[in-house]
Amino acid sequence: MKKITEFILKHSILIGVITLIITVAALYSIKQNVYIETDLDKYMPEDHPAFVYSDKAEEMFDIRDAIMIAIENDKGIYNYSTLKKIKSLTKDLQKLDEIEDKDDVLSLYTADNIIANDEGLEIERFYKKVPKSKEKLNKLRDNVRTNEMIYKRLVSEDETASVIMAKIKDNSFSDSLYNEINLLAEKYSGDGDRIYVAGQPVVEGMMGSLMPKDMQKMFPLVMLLILIVLFITLRSIKGTIITILVVLISSIWTFGLMLFLGYPIYAITTLIPVMLIAIGVADGIHLYNHIMLEHHDNPDLSKKDLIRDMIKQMWLPVMMTSVTTAIGFLSLLTSEVYPIKYFAVFTGLGVMIAMVMSLVFIPAMINIFGLSKIKSKKSGEQEFFKKHSNWFTDIVINHRKIWVTLTIIILIVFGFGISKVWINSSFLARFPSSNPIVETDKFVNDKFSGTTTINVILEGDKKDKFKDPEVLRMMDKVASDIDDKYKEVGGSLSVNDFIKRMNKVLNEDRQDMYKIPDDKNLIAQYFLLYEMSGGSDNLWEVVDENFQTANLRFQLKTDNSKTLNSMIKSVEKYKPAFEKIGVKLNFAGGGYKLLVFSDLILEGQIRSLFLSFIIVIILLSLMFKSIKTGLIGVIPITITTVISFGVLGLFNIPLETTTALISSIAIGIGIDYAVHFIDRYKKNALLTGDKYTTVVKTMEHSGRAIAFNAVVVILGFLVLLFSEFKPNVALGAIVSLNMLTSFIGTITIMLIVMYSANLYFKKNE
Amino acid sequence: MKKMKLILIGMAFLSFISLNSISAQTGKEIAFKVYNRPTAKDGESDMKMTLINKKGGKRVRNIHQFYKDYGSVEKKILFFKSPADVKNTSFMNWSYDDANKDDDQWLYLPALKKVKRISSSSKDNEFMGSDFTYADMEKRHPDEDVHKLLKSENMGGENCWVVEATPKDQDDMYAKKIAWISKSKLLPMKMDYYDEDGELLKTLTINKIEKIGKYWVIADETMHNVQKNHKTVILISNMKVDQGLNDSKFTQRAMKKGL
Repeated sequence: MKKITEFILKHSILIGVITLIITVAALYSIKQNVYIETDLDKYMPEDHPAFVYSDKAEEMFDIRDAIMIAIENDKGIYNYSTLKKIKSLTKDLQKLDEIEDKDDVLSLYTADNIIANDEGLEIERFYKKVPKSKEKLNKLRDNVRTNEMIYKRLVSEDETASVIMAKIKDNSFSDSLYNEINLLAEKYSGDGDRIYVAGQPVVEGMMGSLMPKDMQKMFPLVMLLILIVLFITLRSIKGTIITILVVLISSIWTFGLMLFLGYPIYAITTLIPVMLIAIGVADGIHLYNHIMLEHHDNPDLSKKDLIRDMIKQMWLPVMMTSVTTAIGFLSLLTSEVYPIKYFAVFTGLGVMIAMVMSLVFIPAMINIFGLSKIKSKKSGEQEFFKKHSNWFTDIVINHRKIWVTLTIIILIVFGFGISKVWINSSFLARFPSSNPIVETDKFVNDKFSGTTTINVILEGDKKDKFKDPEVLRMMDKVASDIDDKYKEVGGSLSVNDFIKRMNKVLNEDRQDMYKIPDDKNLIAQYFLLYEMSGGSDNLWEVVDENFQTANLRFQLKTDNSKTLNSMIKSVEKYKPAFEKIGVKLNFAGGGYKLLVFSDLILEGQIRSLFLSFIIVIILLSLMFKSIKTGLIGVIPITITTVISFGVLGLFNIPLETTTALISSIAIGIGIDYAVHFIDRYKKNALLTGDKYTTVVKTMEHSGRAIAFNAVVVILGFLVLLFSEFKPNVALGAIVSLNMLTSFIGTITIMLIVMYSANLYFKKNE
Repeated sequence: MKKMKLILIGMAFLSFISLNSISAQTGKEIAFKVYNRPTAKDGESDMKMTLINKKGGKRVRNIHQFYKDYGSVEKKILFFKSPADVKNTSFMNWSYDDANKDDDQWLYLPALKKVKRISSSSKDNEFMGSDFTYADMEKRHPDEDVHKLLKSENMGGENCWVVEATPKDQDDMYAKKIAWISKSKLLPMKMDYYDEDGELLKTLTINKIEKIGKYWVIADETMHNVQKNHKTVILISNMKVDQGLNDSKFTQRAMKKGL
């Protein structure tokens, strides 16, 4: 280490130049290779059986989420102008590049009306030429009212709104498409008509663009505040700039390397700079804290000697904290989700770069630019801090029982909270209620059967299974049971709706014949009749052409994971009954995949959390050559983690994929605080041999640095509370909370345990 | 208005080669030539209809069909032989020469033991889920379109006129059709159908022509909907013409009775 130190002191300028060159190269790599992956499917493990199955079913039934465009007229939609708008809007949508087939746009204008005439079946459009006369308008209204497949689905029950559903090509949603549709909406509103744009692709797409945008807006503010607070605490412009540079440069290198190696930027990996800033400033703060205290205590020492002392004293704790943090992150490699693996590797790498930068670049820069002059007034501040340390030490040491009791109570209360944590993959929940999408989505959900779809895929063991009345009735039972049980389920669509409709109209429109007939061949002949009569391809969205596999489609008025999970569990109860009749039950579709995906993330997160605890204990035990120290070292992490998750459970705040991941920060921060504190405690213990003095001195040194670190990052991240985007608010809150609890946990309960366990004082007492 | 010509006899048009046809023709003259040629009085054949979806999945229907031309009306009856669950289902169509008179159509469902009338309110409807609409299978009167001879070129091994037909009715489902008509056989070898927005919607390709008695008959044809990437292949076999089929063959009683 000495040799390295001398090298740094000798070639400080070279180090600065090399750092600059690599940074420029990294920036170039970012510019050349930048690619942001927004396709949610790319996040999911492709080989996971649930996803493999869902993809197959999506292909089979052309399952795609639709953009929903609702048109509302207070006087009712059955007037020439509104119906004409529905027709024109339908045609305009069909012309969009993102619409593959004209059939992909379903509206009152394109939908089939299956009706009976005097002797048979008739399948025709509700209208082609827009009806003008009162008589024709009334006929259209009657046709809709008596059609169970259309009424309440495409036309609201109160007849003041109608919805157009446009299935776009996979992953073709973009800001420009959204703008185009909004322009159409604008064009057609007026004359008492209002247009609402909603649907899962809109929500997903909006989130994909809103989150980075919000981050771009908020992140400079975070940096600015950190810069200001860092300056106030360090009282040194040079120190502030260099510390921030370390964090920025390590973020740039990490991203440069990641993109150079061909990994795209995922929503999850955009969190890497956030992590590096929260964790990385610690190294700089501790180094500056040390060198400035030394400088203050020994004003006669030369700059180079101060640097030598800083490296000698601090390289071990800086390295220990960084290595443990990095390895802690690597525990996320157990996740099944690839972007999370990348997140783990590159955050770990970034932490290591930050470490090297702190140990090489900071001394080199101090060597070149020197230290800020000690202001005479500053000593007053130092004394103030010393006084604080004494006073605080007394509070902690003299009231150990209270602190321990308090900690136990907190662990119990928040531990109970953890048991109530749930993950919400709802996208809509992440938008501020002022966002227009929230309002339009609510409107469409209020008026129609729902914007969220869950597909229940029923797979028969042989052809024509879904012409078998027994099987069809079972499916009908599930549909009506689930519809009755959940008020959030707005309705379902299956091959049964076609069969029942035909059975009714072919039996003199008798309402009592709105049921599944007993004869299998009759059902087959109904479908032949359907096709002969020009029935549309919509049928093939609910059953395959061999009638072996069926899609029972539920519409829900919410995308809340709790409701979706509960509903899925209820449907799964029918699995054994279906198996008895040779039908396998599974789920498919975007909404379902997202649910599975969230569970995977949460599961992986919990698994990796446990794993990293074990790794951290082992590493700390090895580093301090004591298992006891290893166990004591995880106290801040434990408290931070329990409180972090407990708060969510207690306040019923659902976990989201990003906020779940950000909890990993607890480990990075907790380790930093603990290691610096224990290391300094150990050094002071050996130096003074007195427990009380050791505590006070450690408080003055590490306690001060930790306090600085906590204040800087907490204030910086609190800015995110003003974000419009709920996940970013959560991010700010979680990082700040973790900082605070790690800080308090380290200087209270961990200290008390160290003190009571007589760590490093075995022989003395 | 004679319907379902195409499916019934595979557009079995009498080949009549006149010397006049070699000399300069207008589009309208060619259209009338195709329209006015003598056809078989009656006939029967097996028909295999294969529907191919965009994933390549196939559905096959085997049908036996009869037809008879009464002059003012053309009657035909189709009996399903497979798939099994629709076996003995039959379909009857009466198509009238009077353009103002809609077709009469019935379907007999053996499971219901009832004959059901099918509305033919829209000729734009697809026939049996195929890529042919009812209108596609009709013999269309040349006066309904404006014809334009574009050029002559070879298609499917035949020397053809390329004729563009634009409907006079603004609400027609096609903006235009382009047909490659064999000069020697007066049968289309290929047809392109353009949708109301003027985009190519479907292409009909004639794969095989046979001579049955004195008539040239399409024995194998494919309609490809390029917008949906869905295909329908129709194979005609065991065709017999001019047998003098009995009128009782074309009644609701016959539908119920089966083959």
